[in-house]
Amino acid sequence: MKIFRHLTTSLVTFCALVAGGAFVFAVAVTFAVSLFRDVEISAWNVAASQIGPWFLLFIGVYAIHNMLPIAVAHGRTRREFLVAASVFSVVLAVLMTAVEWLGFLVEGGIYSLMDWRADEHAAQPAYFLMYLVWFAVGMLCAAAFDRYGPGGVFVLPVAFALVVVTRVQMPGAGNLPFVQDIPVLLGPGWTAALAASFAVALAGTWAIARDMPIRTRSV
Amino acid sequence: MFDDRSPIYRQIADRIKADVLSGALKADEQVMSTNQYAAYYRINPATAAKAFQQLVDEQVLYKKRGIGMFVSTQARDMLRAQGRETFFGEVVDPMVAEARAIGIPLSEVIRRIEQHEKNGGV
Amino acid sequence: MRVDVQGLTVRYGDVTAVDDMSFSLQGNKIYGLLGRNGSGKTSLMSALAGYRRPVGSVQLDGAPVFENAAALRQVCLVRHSAHAADKGDKVSYVLEYGAAWRDTWDNGYALELVELFKIPLGTKVGELSLGQRSALGVVIGLASRSPLTMLDESHLGMDTPTRYAFYDTLLHDFMEHPRTIIISTHLIEELSSLLEEVLIIDAGRLVLQEEADVLRSRGTEVTGNASDVDEFTAGLTVLSSRSLGRTKAAMVYGALADDQLVRARQLGLELGPIALQDLFVHLTEPVGGKR
Repeated sequence: MKIFRHLTTSLVTFCALVAGGAFVFAVAVTFAVSLFRDVEISAWNVAASQIGPWFLLFIGVYAIHNMLPIAVAHGRTRREFLVAASVFSVVLAVLMTAVEWLGFLVEGGIYSLMDWRADEHAAQPAYFLMYLVWFAVGMLCAAAFDRYGPGGVFVLPVAFALVVVTRVQMPGAGNLPFVQDIPVLLGPGWTAALAASFAVALAGTWAIARDMPIRTRSV
Repeated sequence: MFDDRSPIYRQIADRIKADVLSGALKADEQVMSTNQYAAYYRINPATAAKAFQQLVDEQVLYKKRGIGMFVSTQARDMLRAQGRETFFGEVVDPMVAEARAIGIPLSEVIRRIEQHEKNGGV
Repeated sequence: MRVDVQGLTVRYGDVTAVDDMSFSLQGNKIYGLLGRNGSGKTSLMSALAGYRRPVGSVQLDGAPVFENAAALRQVCLVRHSAHAADKGDKVSYVLEYGAAWRDTWDNGYALELVELFKIPLGTKVGELSLGQRSALGVVIGLASRSPLTMLDESHLGMDTPTRYAFYDTLLHDFMEHPRTIIISTHLIEELSSLLEEVLIIDAGRLVLQEEADVLRSRGTEVTGNASDVDEFTAGLTVLSSRSLGRTKAAMVYGALADDQLVRARQLGLELGPIALQDLFVHLTEPVGGKR
């Protein structure tokens, strides 16, 4: 509980600040663009669907690479940390989805005031699941590289496969080459696919980090 | 503070004995606690405790439960008696040997000692 | 806190850092873990702190430490603060981790120590000098008040006044809150008077475990006529010897019996003590040297 509380108090504030800053930046850019040409896409959607996932991946890496060893050095088990981090991933994804929703709400208001046009964006569950998967994949990659060193590259194809699924229902995320048919193939089962993706990433993280040596060779 | 060559507890014990002999520590006077000693000389408290235990065993100190360590009444007389036993062997004999080695006649050494006697002590 | 190590081995690829080591520590003492650089001190302590799954067994008060929440709570290992802090974190944030994750953390004491060692709270760990980082490690180690506290080369980079402040603080806090403290070092002279028990390790193996004061009386330097010294030391453990003309000095390990003392006097040999530091040097002779 202590780890979860600390993760929440320290990282949630940090992430909310970053997201808030990103929103202000997106709006500023939109205004700048509007001086030169017509606004036709949602700037916030670019942030929410393209930059957001990478940010969550980064937080996932930070959690395992930076915070897990500190937790162990302060007398906590890896298991305790992983439980806390798993619960925290859901909390963080919910928070970021809420920020994303709020962002679209405010942006929508601005757009209609300014009479700009926005492209369509995805439904909330798609964002939520995307954030969840990217965070877990960040943890998975960090665990693999921390444990196996350069051997961690072998987890990258898996990581890629896991995050590709999150792009399926995401307009504005950039069309994937070669795999444009996936939405059709998956049909309405995409939520299940994303949930499975999250489960696989989390299980992988647990398997690798569960008895990982910590800082044994640090100088 | 302490040389690293012989057990520290023995060095501490010797130092306390020297204080008793010189009168710096008087009979029934309380000595510093183990922890005070440890902090002052920057040594492990167990080492200080060991020195005190040795002194208790030798009846130089006695323990008052919950209060501390005190110099026993007979400590000074006892140490003086012990000192007298070893004085000639440990102090005078090596001095005589040293005097011989550097060529000072014993008669001169004796004259010097007699001078001290005349001046009333050291 | 009692520590039991049984058949512990730590390997990194082909390198064996700790080699089938076994020992027990009774606890509530200040232990010195002495060894040359690369002798396995850090690897041993890492295993004691549950940083890695042990080959062999590591038990604290009878319970295995690895991934055991109850046992791990009671352990703290610091090595110039690197374990419990990120280079990019500010000092104040590092202390927050301690406060957040350690039940036994004494934050008032931590702040007191930070002031004593003059560590700026607003500075990032990576920007501290080596001495300050070591001091921060000491702050974390002591303020954790862990029943098993391990300080790995904690004096590194500290200047002399800071080292003395560290020794005084350590001793004072140990007397106020007795616990098991293990200090690793290869600088023995300054620290040795603080230690109650000493473990010497070399090339991943335990060379000896002994009360510090007993160890001090273990070594004897025998000086005299070369042939007499040779005669006297025949059959004894000679750690090293050196000659000057016809005079020879030999370091002998092990207590001497009364008849040996008498014999030494007969031969006109001079017997002197050996410093702990010298004893350590000769017990951990580099590979190829005399053992």
